[in-house]
Parts: sequence; C-alpha cells; structure tokens
Amino acid sequence: MTSHISRRDFLRLAGAAAGAAAATAANAALAPQARAAAPAQAPQWESKFGVCDMCFNRCGLIARVEKGVIRKLDPNPKFTKSRGMLCARGNAGVDQVYDPERLKTPLLRTGKRGEGRWKEVGWDEALEICAGRMKDIAAKYTRCGMLFSAGADTQSQFVNRFAEAFGSYNVTSHESLCLLSGNRAFVDTFGEVPLPDVKNSKYVILAGANRLEALVTPDSMDLVSIMKDGAKVVVLDPRYTKSAALASEWHAIHPGTDLAFMLALAHVIIAEKLYDAKFVAERTSGLDKLSAHVADKTPQWAEGETGIPAADIARIARELAAAAPAAMVYPGRRSSDYENSTQIRRGFAIVNALLGNWDRPGGLVPPRPAGVKKVPFEPPFYDDNPPGRVDAKGVPLLFDDEGSFVLTRDAVIKGAPYPVKGWFVYKTNPMATAPERRKTREMIEALDFLVVADIAMSDTAWMADLVLPMPSALERQDPVQALQAGAEGACLVWRDPVIAPLHQSRPVFEVLKALSGKLGFPEAFDFDIATYREKQLAAFPEAAEILKRDGVFYPPNPPLGTTDGQPFKTPSQKIELYSNRYADMGLDPLPVYQTPKPSPDAGRRFRLVAGRSACVTQASSTNNALLSEFEPENTLWLNEDSAKELGVRQGDLVQVESPAGRGELKALVTPKIRKDTVYMLSGFGTISGQLKRSRVGASIVELMESRHDAICGNSAIHETFVSVKKKGAA
Amino acid sequence: MKRSTSIFAAIVLAIATVGMAFAAEGNARKGKYLYRQKCRSCHGVSASDLSPNSKTQAEWKKLFAKPEAIKCYKDWKGVTPEEKTDIFTYLHDFAKDSPSPAKCN
Repeated sequence: MTSHISRRDFLRLAGAAAGAAAATAANAALAPQARAAAPAQAPQWESKFGVCDMCFNRCGLIARVEKGVIRKLDPNPKFTKSRGMLCARGNAGVDQVYDPERLKTPLLRTGKRGEGRWKEVGWDEALEICAGRMKDIAAKYTRCGMLFSAGADTQSQFVNRFAEAFGSYNVTSHESLCLLSGNRAFVDTFGEVPLPDVKNSKYVILAGANRLEALVTPDSMDLVSIMKDGAKVVVLDPRYTKSAALASEWHAIHPGTDLAFMLALAHVIIAEKLYDAKFVAERTSGLDKLSAHVADKTPQWAEGETGIPAADIARIARELAAAAPAAMVYPGRRSSDYENSTQIRRGFAIVNALLGNWDRPGGLVPPRPAGVKKVPFEPPFYDDNPPGRVDAKGVPLLFDDEGSFVLTRDAVIKGAPYPVKGWFVYKTNPMATAPERRKTREMIEALDFLVVADIAMSDTAWMADLVLPMPSALERQDPVQALQAGAEGACLVWRDPVIAPLHQSRPVFEVLKALSGKLGFPEAFDFDIATYREKQLAAFPEAAEILKRDGVFYPPNPPLGTTDGQPFKTPSQKIELYSNRYADMGLDPLPVYQTPKPSPDAGRRFRLVAGRSACVTQASSTNNALLSEFEPENTLWLNEDSAKELGVRQGDLVQVESPAGRGELKALVTPKIRKDTVYMLSGFGTISGQLKRSRVGASIVELMESRHDAICGNSAIHETFVSVKKKGAA
Repeated sequence: MKRSTSIFAAIVLAIATVGMAFAAEGNARKGKYLYRQKCRSCHGVSASDLSPNSKTQAEWKKLFAKPEAIKCYKDWKGVTPEEKTDIFTYLHDFAKDSPSPAKCN
C-alpha cells in the first residue's frame, strides 16, 4: 500500500480540494455567517480574477468570493497557458489564505535563535528596527554586507531593485538551488534558454524530468494530449514516476549517466547521418570536433554506463531523428543534480541542435517577445564597496544576477572575501531548500541580522531576528508579469486583491518603499503599483482593459521560423556544439562524460535522489491542511530487494544517514525504484514551531551534502550517498 | 629583483587574463551606474533604447575602439576616459553573446 495518490485520485483531487477549500473558508472565524448558508442555495458569490501562487507557474484563476470570504478557486478558462486547468495545489490555495498558523503581526525575536520566543511589534517599530540594522551593517561592512534573497514571486523584482538602490551586489534567488545548470548549458550552446513546444512534438525524451508530477504549465498537460494523439514519450529515470507510468517507454537509467545516453544518441545520429545536414552546416559550429568526440561513444559503450540496452539506445536515436524537427530532448527545469550538470545539460542541448528543431513546431523555440517595459531608475554608486559579489570567485561562469546560494553561504560562514552580516529574505526558504541544513544554520549564526518576510513561519523565518507578515497572493496588488507558454507566446498577468489583506500583513513592496525612505533613497520607490503597471504596459495601450476583462493579456506573437537566418547570441553566432568560450577558459569545450563516482563508503550504498509529487511544492505547501491529506508525510522509497536485505518491511521506521546529517522516516518498500537508489520528498521534517503538520518525516536538506556545479555554482543535490537501516537494527 | 618582479607581474597578468577571459578592463558595476547617468538620459527616451544586449561583445569593442565615430559622441562631454572604459566594460561584459547577458534594459 502506498501513501502516494493514484492518477485517478489526483484527477479527482481538484473537485475534492475545492469542496474542502470552501469548508475551510466557512469554518474560518472570519466568516461565522458562512456557516449558516443553506447548501441547496445558488451561490451568491462574486467572481474575481487572480493568479495562483502555489508554485512558480502562476496559473490564472477565478476566485469565488462570498461576503469577503474566498469560498473556492476555479481555473480561468481564458488563461490558455494552463489549458484551463487549476491543479490540486492551486485549489488548495484557499488554505494558504485562511491557515490559522499564518503570520499575523511583525515579530521580534526575544529568545535564542530558533528557540521560538517572539514579541509582537507594530509595523512602525519593525520598520525602524529593520532600517536601523541595515544602516549599521552598511556602515560597518559596506553595503555589500547585506545579502538579499527573494523567491519566485511577482514582487521579488522589487527586492532586487531595493538591493541595487541600497548598494549590494549580493542577491540570490531560488534559481541556484534549481535550474541554473540547464540555463548555463543552453546559454552557452544556443545563446539563450529556449522553450519546448511540447504541444506540437511527436517525440519527447524526458531525461530526469517528472513532468506529470512536477507540473509545468502548459508542458504537463500537453504531454498527456500529445501521447493521446500518438506522440512517443521516452522517460529515463531511476524511479518509476507517474510520468514513467504514462509514458510510451521507461528506462531505469543508472543515476548520473544521462550524458552517456546523450553522447550515444549523438553518435548514432552522426554516424548514420540522421541529422539535419543543411541546418547543422549553416547554423551550428563544431560538428567535426563533435563527430570525433562521440566516435567511440557507441550505444554498446553507453549500455555499460546507463544500463539501457544498446539496441534501445540506437532505436531511440533513429526514432528521434525520424520525428525531427518535431522532436526534442526535453530541456527540463530543475537541473541541480551533479557537479558536472552544466556539461550533462550541454549534452541535451547538443542532441537538440543535431535535430534541427530550433524555432520549429514541436522543437525548441526562442523565448517569445513579451513587451513588458522595465521601469528604469538610477541607483547610486558606492565607491567603498568591494569589487564584486561575495561568491564571484567560486566558479568560472556564475550568472552575475543570480549568483550561487551554496557558494554565498560558504562565504558568509568564512567571512571571506569580505563579511556579509545581514540577510533580507523574501518568500524563499533556504533552511528547507538548500542542501546541508546545518550549514544554513551556521550561516545564519554568523549574521548580525536576519529579517524574513513571508506568509508563514517558514524554517528560515523561525531562525530570524525579525519576521514580517506578508499577504497571500489573493490579497495584494501586483505588477505585471510575463509568463512564457511554449510556442504559443507569452502572456501577461497582474493581480488585484480578491479580498482585503488579512491580519496585519503588508506587501513587500510597501515594506521596501518605507525602508527606502528611511534609508535615504526614496526616489527608487517613487511610485505606486498602479503607475508602475502603466509604465510596464506602455507598449500596449489596450492591455489594462483586457486584463480587467479577461484576467490575462496576450501580446503579439511572431510565427515560428522568424529567427531563420539570424545569428545566434553566441560568440560564433552559431549554435556552439563545440564551445570556444569553454576552450579559452580551460573548460571542456565538448561535454566529457565521467562515470559517476561510486559511494566512498560501502555502508552508504544508496544514492539519494530528489523529486516531486503533484501535491507538494517543497516546504511552501507541506503544511497546507488540504494537501497534507494527500501527502501527510514523506517516506523513503526503497527497492523491495534492498529492503529484504536490510530486513526492512513496508512502513517500518528507517534511519537514513549521510555525512551531512540524519533523518528518520517510514519506508515505502517498492519495486518502483532501482536497488542502488532511494528517494524522498522535500519539505518535511521542518523545524518551525508554526508548521506543525510538516514536522513529520525526514528533512531531505538535513541529508544532502553541499555540492555544487563546477561551472555555474548551481546546487548539486544528487551527489549524496546514504546508509539506511531499520530503526533499532544494529 | 627587477626580473622576479616582472615574472611575478607576468604571472599575475596571466592569472587575471584566464580568470577574466571575457571581461574588459574597467569596472562594469561603475559602468552600469555611469551608463544610467550619462547614456540613458537620451537612449530609451529620445534616442534608441539601448542595453548591453543590443549588441555583441565584438560590436561593442569595435564601437568603442573609435568612440569619436559614434553618432552621439558630441554629447559625451564631461565623460572622462576612465568613465568611458567603465561604460564600455559594462556594455561588453553583459552583451548579448556574453556569458551573463543583460536581461532587457
């Protein structure tokens, strides 16, 4: 018996969650009158557009509001990016609003860090404290002594704007704990990060992407649609995920060997001349060097590395090429896997280039123009600042505007190359998302001041000096945001409050505006959100009315193929199969496969891999009352044969240990995972006293070792081996 | 002594060259500030909406090799040679084919 929901359960969940959501709202003390409503009556609700905030996808929704209380969230049918869908998490968004454990007032720490003793303070006092501490840090350590980290949120752009005006280069987002390796690889190969046009594809290789559970709109829905129409989807994953279950074929690849598979695909495609010869000749550079590089990377060789039969690899290569250009190696999103993840993802990019699928239906398309104007400003320059980011020297190709959280954390702990003593965190939660939690704790201990602005008392907030309560996405006015949706074009959304802000919550924009005044740079926030939006939409005079009418605006989208003949944004102006930049920097100019290193310790025989359930968005959703009914705790996926050897039976408590830390959780004994691999969900085993539901299970970040991508500094979270034993066993 | 100093300098230069393989020699961060102060008063308002990713690194290099040939050069009064280098460094290091292309303007 598994605690994971079946597909049918998942499809049913939307309805169930919506009903429960209404019940949650009705039970909220805020709406005693709602209890009296007779169930047979037609709902007397108002319908208001909103944008979901339960993950980064930001799907359009319609909130059904009755007497100031949100009763239900429905998908916005005009929001085509989600194909008119609102997932289980989206439906459960109501609980985020009415969660009794939500932050209600600013809180000032009175006990030791992480002890959970707080004093409620008013906003005036909270802002005064915050400004004062930031001013002190700037005076003592330069302005780069403040670090700013903002999560994937529509108002995060204001945090970055504030950091720049304040004068700090030290800004991180969630990206260096997630997707940077893939971005690095595609920027260095194609000159930009493309979008997959899944909807029109006939053949998709999902290598490590579990798109039917780790939902990305519209890709997740489109995969289901195209399979119905006969497209082939090949899944490579050490785990039998729901994507694997529904795919045309699944291969339980040996973890860390995806590049061997990609090089073998390239070998077959080149050796049998299955590539698009005209495209490759005109628009790529380095085919001769790539040919030599993959000459011995035969399917037979790759079989030895990946465990996938050579005949299957050769067949997949031929099928993929035959379906081209409506075929792709799906680029994926989270690529924070291995220390050589940039090179692994270069392998993905190179196979796509051979298929000639650039800017073609069913292939990879350049980001669609969105037309949102930036709102310029003129931040001051501080001559006494250090020359660069605190993590600048850690890796050769850091993205300057993203940095590396893992390397930044090391620098803060060391106090070198210069001290960083303050941290402003907005709606991101590194205590629950960055590997090796004890190091994040150590980093926080090294600070003079940590302020966390969030909706809930996250684990990071729990460690803070000052906690600021934020409104949920249904309670605030937000700037315009462009969302990409494959080949169909970008869409623009904004938010207006569906209900008035609850408790004493105040949007981060207002917090930053107030702080900018206290810190002497009010001109950086010399606007309100309405005027900011007007400036953002300057190119589209009709957009505001359409956004009010439909909840979404679609800017003009050029047809595919308009980039034909144009140079790529790379040094050679072509797709760089062979990277001259890498060669000049002493990096491998072609992706060199390395056999994954075995566990250094025979006692730690299992590679720990991360992944997602469709009901979990890491630690931001595991405390949600509705979603926790579907994922009440995490379990350790353990192969049935391995379990037998260890004497572990279904549901037994197991102790999992790595050099980073340890955890205890129930075993899910299953044939759905390789014998050498274990898996657990993130987001459980939390430490915050105000996240009571998610304190169960084990914390994956307690177990993961801190490793990083050697090229871009992205976190590398599949490099950890763990030991597993039944609790109480010797 | 003199010789060892020059060898040391050569090594430092070599390391710096490798580490900054694609960075120009000025201060890109100061360049960004100066660019906003001195260039965006026209560009994006009355002149073309320029950003580092409007051009390639090679194009910026070519342009700044002979700045006096740039159309608006006459308006560059008061921009010191050092400031010019900083502005160039910013535009070059965040060019559209750079490792860290600027996001829009």
